[in-house]
Amino acid sequence: MSSSFIISLLVGTLRTSIPIILAALGQVYVHKSGTLDLSVEGTMIFSCLMSFIAAALTKSLTFALIIGGVSGLCYSFIMAHLTVNLKSNQVISGTALTMLATGLSSYLYRVVFGIRSLPPIIENFKPINFGFLTKIPFIGPILFNHNFTFYFMLLLVIITWFIMDKTSYGLKIKAVGEFPRAADSKGIEVNKIRFQSILIGGLYSGFAGASMSLGYMNTYTDQMIAGRGFIAIAVVVFARWLPIRVLFAALLFGFANTLQMRLQSIGVAVPIQLLQALPYILTVVVLLGVSKYVKFPSYFTQAYSRDKK
Amino acid sequence: MNAIEMRSITKRFGSLIANNNIDFTLKKQSIHALLGENGAGKTTLMNQLFGLSIADEGSILVEGKPFKLEHSPQDSMKKGISMVHQHFMLIKNMSVCENIMLANEDENFPLLNPKQTKERIIQLSKKYHLGVDPNSIIDHISVGQQQRVEILAALYKETKTLILDEPTAVLTPEEVEDLFLILKELKRNGKSIIIITHHLNEIMDIADEVSVLRNGDLIGSTPINEKTSTKELSRLMVGRDVNFNFKKEKTNSIEKVLEIKNLSYKKEHVKLLDNINFNIKKGEIFVIAGVDGNGQKELCETIVGLNKCENGSIFLNQKDITKTNVNHRIKNGISYIPQDRQKSGLVMNWSISDNLILKTYERSPISNKFFVSTKEAQNQATRMIKKFNIKSQDNNDRANQLSGGNQQKVILAREMDRGPALLIASHPTRGLDVGAMEYVRNQMLELRNKGGSVLLISADLEEVFQIADRIAVIFKGKLMGILQPNCGVAKIGRLMAGLDEEEINE
Amino acid sequence: MNKFKNILPPILSIILAFAVGAIILLLSNFNPIESYKSLFNGAFGSAYGFSETLVKMIPILTIALGTSVAFKAQLWNIGGNGQYTLGCISTLIVCVYLPAPMWLKLVIALLLSILVGMIFGGLLGLAKAKLNANEVITTLMFDYIIALFLSFLVYGPLMDPDGHNFPQSKLIEKEVLFDKLMVGTRLHSGLFLALFLVILLFFFWKTKEGFRIKMIGANPNVAKLSGISVNLQIMLTMGISCAFAAIAGYIDVLGIHGRLQDNIAGTLGSVAIVVALLGNLNPIGIIFSAFFFSALTVGGQCMQRFMGVPYSLVTIIQALVIVFVVASKIIVEKRSKK
Repeated sequence: MSSSFIISLLVGTLRTSIPIILAALGQVYVHKSGTLDLSVEGTMIFSCLMSFIAAALTKSLTFALIIGGVSGLCYSFIMAHLTVNLKSNQVISGTALTMLATGLSSYLYRVVFGIRSLPPIIENFKPINFGFLTKIPFIGPILFNHNFTFYFMLLLVIITWFIMDKTSYGLKIKAVGEFPRAADSKGIEVNKIRFQSILIGGLYSGFAGASMSLGYMNTYTDQMIAGRGFIAIAVVVFARWLPIRVLFAALLFGFANTLQMRLQSIGVAVPIQLLQALPYILTVVVLLGVSKYVKFPSYFTQAYSRDKK
Repeated sequence: MNAIEMRSITKRFGSLIANNNIDFTLKKQSIHALLGENGAGKTTLMNQLFGLSIADEGSILVEGKPFKLEHSPQDSMKKGISMVHQHFMLIKNMSVCENIMLANEDENFPLLNPKQTKERIIQLSKKYHLGVDPNSIIDHISVGQQQRVEILAALYKETKTLILDEPTAVLTPEEVEDLFLILKELKRNGKSIIIITHHLNEIMDIADEVSVLRNGDLIGSTPINEKTSTKELSRLMVGRDVNFNFKKEKTNSIEKVLEIKNLSYKKEHVKLLDNINFNIKKGEIFVIAGVDGNGQKELCETIVGLNKCENGSIFLNQKDITKTNVNHRIKNGISYIPQDRQKSGLVMNWSISDNLILKTYERSPISNKFFVSTKEAQNQATRMIKKFNIKSQDNNDRANQLSGGNQQKVILAREMDRGPALLIASHPTRGLDVGAMEYVRNQMLELRNKGGSVLLISADLEEVFQIADRIAVIFKGKLMGILQPNCGVAKIGRLMAGLDEEEINE
Repeated sequence: MNKFKNILPPILSIILAFAVGAIILLLSNFNPIESYKSLFNGAFGSAYGFSETLVKMIPILTIALGTSVAFKAQLWNIGGNGQYTLGCISTLIVCVYLPAPMWLKLVIALLLSILVGMIFGGLLGLAKAKLNANEVITTLMFDYIIALFLSFLVYGPLMDPDGHNFPQSKLIEKEVLFDKLMVGTRLHSGLFLALFLVILLFFFWKTKEGFRIKMIGANPNVAKLSGISVNLQIMLTMGISCAFAAIAGYIDVLGIHGRLQDNIAGTLGSVAIVVALLGNLNPIGIIFSAFFFSALTVGGQCMQRFMGVPYSLVTIIQALVIVFVVASKIIVEKRSKK
């Protein structure tokens, strides 16, 4: 295996992991506050389309990225309202919202772009030129040859870690998912925090979806997200909800995805479909290995109301 | 000027009058006990002072100034009123420091300020002899220590009035003494304290004044001195001469219904049961006394069949059942009333009849080979409702529509209707009113007099001494001794605190 | 009176969902009335349309029955697609490659489908019971994995040698396939098997095992104390649930497909979830909602062909129905707690 293959593998891993990391980081807030949000996939699909439309119409990638985040935030309002205010079953709500987003995005895409044989293309984020840094052997191409979304993702890793670990807001989120009644008695508005956490998760999922159409690819197709939202959920559990670990846990999946693409292009004796199934198989394996040993927030998936006794 | 004055407080829940025109005055620098049995309205009254609920009528004065009825716990804390609840409001997997930072947003916004917080915690802990380490994780400290963390949290907020809800319920007699020392220290430092309790003897030790509530009414308030009689207070509390005088015939049975040998149980490397040995004879009420969380739950669940113990054996009527499953043990006469009736005793949103047949649905007459007969289930349910005097309008009422006492009766009916060989009852009277308590204890005695056996888990020493034939004490998963009821409270107390150990010769 | 209360929320949800759909149509310059007319006509306007509605109803109904069993136990099996595909594959392999008389093929294929479904579900149930692996994600991941496996089969080992390199398998012999019920339509006798399964499930809930499954869903702690082996029940419930979906695959291969092809499951799995929830996890309710949703599916295709309305509008309406059902449950609960 030549060093250029390894470099290309590592670069690809980092690139592929970006959407998963972004979505998983958002779920740190959501899970810690006590909600299982299965609409991540749907939110990603929706914001992926919305940011793509924004980019196609305005040609401004920054604006499109913001639109991505905002549309994710807006879409997650529904999940927040259903599960926090109406206290409905989290699994059913999340699944329904993913279904809704799938249909809605597919519909909107056709209405906006019409029926085409080839999907429309935009100018997507290009790798940033870091000058001499890129020329450093090995490290250079791996770390300094990415587009904006990669560095944006790194920034969010640090921001998420900081908020969860060093601020009172982060402490409140953890309290709310661990023992909502105690948090309530200390004057913390439990449901408000849960609501906000879901919105934050939606914002991150929005960025994740946008990064798919604006950074990873330069187009939009119906099946683009392909389960990454659910993989993100497995990643955040695997990472025990710690932002830095999320980064590394997601790399595992990015690696699986990139590996199968590189192996496909080389032409190995393994059937293509098995390679394509690698990320999903990996997700199952990870869940099987880890779920028994991680400590979920005690009130995970349970709605809270003050007069519940 | 008084610390707190509550005047003509009335609170209704639907047609139930929980507090009826109650006057309550807390003098400055005093300890005032609020006495009453379960359901009398004490916690309701204090919840309204603290802001967890809002009074319908009346007025409240804090240090002479009016305090509007509609206020939140935050408002109360700003006025210097704090409350330590029965179930501690502490996040188990966080440290003491983190828990306190959570409650003190002002100094921790937007960034957490652990350094400052820890300094102040250590300061307060020294001043009031609380012995609290700001870095310790709540899960790893004892219940008594957790209570002190709660008190420290209140002091951290510069509380002037401290309300304690049943503070001694979770403590050993030794820990109760420690608590009272702390309370006296607080009093010396100018704090005013309200203790909600139904334990008469403790009031005599610590309170300056007592107010008695019964069925939502204030029966009276009186200062505590040498002349105060517990008998009189008890009568005021219950409204009649409390005579838990249960007919107990002497039992001479030697036949063992249950035998536990060298039972040990570990979970996540923590030894929860440590070499337990005891037996229960036929026609006996065997009580295991001890503070919550010393292995009682694990012991019950092991005997019932939920846990597999790695060492030891269990014999039911001389047959080895150590390796058998729950179903087998149910069929062979073990019944279980779990401690947490809403979580493990009933399916709350199922009907009463479905709850009653939970353990008998598999057999005739309710089932034939494959099918469960709804009609037969209803017949059985109607019969049991009548037999055990469960108050409900309809068999198909859901369990969550019943009162606590009636819910317990449903569980009791289900577990006792089969005429079990061994009834395991874990804190069966907790949270019930006196009438229901008497009923449950009578049922257990009836079973015993008929030749059945009861393994009773209780933390209520009054109850223990009332009906036990023999008393065992459990501490940190070990049996500290098996004694006769005439051994006295002090002895039991020492065993409960792990300060003594008796040789167990069976 | 109680029954009426049960039906009202679902019906209102459907009406609301259609209303929102109409707004979406208006906003995208479609005429809602014409579009819905086309939808309705597609499903009911002709004998063929009606027969198609029934044809589509068969797998949706069958999978939904399985979904309802799992949901009743609070096991969120949403991988109907993958399990349906497993049934298709099992059936095809037996019917094409097993040398046996026709009737025997039919029997063995059915048994194999059930077995594969039960083992698959049992393993996922085991993963949940012993390893706490979230079944929502595992069943969904397997949707992708099994779909890729199917793709592998029809592009590879099972590809029809006379199929001009199309991703499809050999065709099953005509005599093995189910009889057509109506000439000139795709409606087949598999319908009776599906209806039989409804009756089977109806009586299943009255059995001891049904009682046990309900208890697990309602309160696993109480179930344990009642002597039920919760782990075993989880495996059994998941097994039964997956078996139903696999049977749906069996029926469809012999009823309409006749062979394996890429993406054979389409969106059946997600529709089944909607159907099960709308039918309140009750077999009788499920028949009605399955009929309704398959009408939507069939009508939607017509609507797309004739009015140019993208089929995804139907997906939107289906998802909205659940959202409204879920939202309305709280309102109903609040009223009843009084």
